[in-house]
Amino acid sequence: MSQIHVERLSKHYQVHEKEAGLGGSLRSFFARKYRTVKAVDEVSFDIQAGEMVGFLGPNGAGKTTTLKVLSGLLYPSGGNASVMGHVPHKRETAYLKQFTLVMGQKQQLMWDLPAIETFLVNQAIYEIPKGDYDATLKELDQLLDLGPLLKKQVRKLSLGERMKCELAAAMLHRPKVLFLDEPTIGLDVTMQVRIRDFIAAYNQRHGATIILTSHYMADVTALCERIIVIDKGKLFYDGNFRELIEKIAPYKILKLQLSTHAISEHFTEYGKVESCDGVTVVLHVPRERATDTAAHLLTQFKVNDVTFEDPPVEDIIRQVFEGNRK
Amino acid sequence: MVKYIKLLGVFIRASLLTELEYRANFIAQIFLGLLWAVVVWVSVLIFFAHTTTLGGWEYAQVLIVVGMFSLINGLIECMLAPNVKRLIEMVRLGTLDFVLLKPVSSQFMTTLRYTRFNGIGDFSAGVLTIIYAFGQMTYRPSLEAIVQFACVFLMACLTVYSIWVFIATASFWLVKVNNLTELFRSIYDTGRFPITTFQGGVRFFLTYVMPIAFITTFPAQAFLGKLDAATTLTSVAIAAITFIASNRFWNFAIRNYSSASS
Repeated sequence: MSQIHVERLSKHYQVHEKEAGLGGSLRSFFARKYRTVKAVDEVSFDIQAGEMVGFLGPNGAGKTTTLKVLSGLLYPSGGNASVMGHVPHKRETAYLKQFTLVMGQKQQLMWDLPAIETFLVNQAIYEIPKGDYDATLKELDQLLDLGPLLKKQVRKLSLGERMKCELAAAMLHRPKVLFLDEPTIGLDVTMQVRIRDFIAAYNQRHGATIILTSHYMADVTALCERIIVIDKGKLFYDGNFRELIEKIAPYKILKLQLSTHAISEHFTEYGKVESCDGVTVVLHVPRERATDTAAHLLTQFKVNDVTFEDPPVEDIIRQVFEGNRK
Repeated sequence: MVKYIKLLGVFIRASLLTELEYRANFIAQIFLGLLWAVVVWVSVLIFFAHTTTLGGWEYAQVLIVVGMFSLINGLIECMLAPNVKRLIEMVRLGTLDFVLLKPVSSQFMTTLRYTRFNGIGDFSAGVLTIIYAFGQMTYRPSLEAIVQFACVFLMACLTVYSIWVFIATASFWLVKVNNLTELFRSIYDTGRFPITTFQGGVRFFLTYVMPIAFITTFPAQAFLGKLDAATTLTSVAIAAITFIASNRFWNFAIRNYSSASS
């Protein structure tokens, strides 16, 4: 059986609507109008042990809500979920000891104390034996380069340093399943790469199952072979990332630097001309014919330089969402 | 159980470290606590300048009630009040999620997580007052009285704790519970006088509705060897009922809690 099993999972919220202004406030004080928001709407998927899966979707798509249901923080309104054979919302101790939820926008570290103090509290809470604790801390230190950070008050750490400590605090009990909700939010590129490498290394060493949400497409591209795309609570893609790219964007971007002038009409037979200013030509060439086309072009024109690129993932995902909304 | 006692130790240690980060504040708080305890003591002295007994209690005996009052007030200040404040913040910011993710009772984690040391003044003033009061009397408690006191006192602590859990839990709906804590404090203020000082409806209210009598008067009475078995048993029953009820209320609130926006 798969490690994470989600079947027709729904989570609906009742929110009350308020019109603007004092009049609206008064009206909503006496007679509230409620509206049902389907944050997650009949979503199903299965994840095997050791998989790294990226959750993609715009803000408010239902990614965080899904992770919260899987963590047992929210009761599902319909359908069911099971993680490692446990029903999350029962919040059994045996379950709570085996996973972790990292929320990039919320912190559990004690603000006024060095991070190591939060670690010690977590050690007591998770009842981690001294030997295991020391070994895990040593490994985390090695992977995240925590060193001197642990002894500095959390309020004096930079955002990136704090995130490293947050991650470590959430990993002390060696979780088998990791729910990472925007773990790299607000971090600079170097730190993002750092965190990404850590996630990949942890997955490799411990065979942990990971669900990752991120606004930074690079995180998902670098880590996840498989992605689940949700929008407005509905799942509409679950599968291999590369296949999705090939389906939505079945072309490569071919850039030519010419040494002689050419006009765009010269290139229309090879593919869609995106731009042509005489010396620089950008073409969208069907994927399977990309190399042949390039070879042919090299014989036809005086080419200084030629590059191939995959279309930017952001564009692809945007196309997916736009297609979905129509 | 052993796990929870250990955890409480870890929590108190972390809290102490936090308080020590702000040295001046730490010292000022203890000083303020002591000052308040003196105020209570003086108010009793003023009473006895005009009379020799208060509700059938002599001066030294009343001092034991006063001592109990300060001592428990200190415990509230140290262990309970700071957590109610934090809980409100956690509900507002959504960080309560982290508590619910931990393999520990969420009620324990939220209501006893932070200790502050501003109540140490009250607490030690309470202990000193009780010692002083016994110095003024020829009476010495028997072993039986001490055991009975220990039992009633423990029940008093449990009752106070449970009442605070009720107040804290209300923060899920009210977001601001300052008014509730103030209300409790002003009712609790009556606990510095023996319950027999009050008449009729007020006495009934302070015994059975808001059981202040069981928190200060009855433990003091037990110490003085004057508490009957029925009242002792009632204190156990009241503690058990409020504790179970508060725990139910907490679990109900948690079930209804849907964390604030991500």
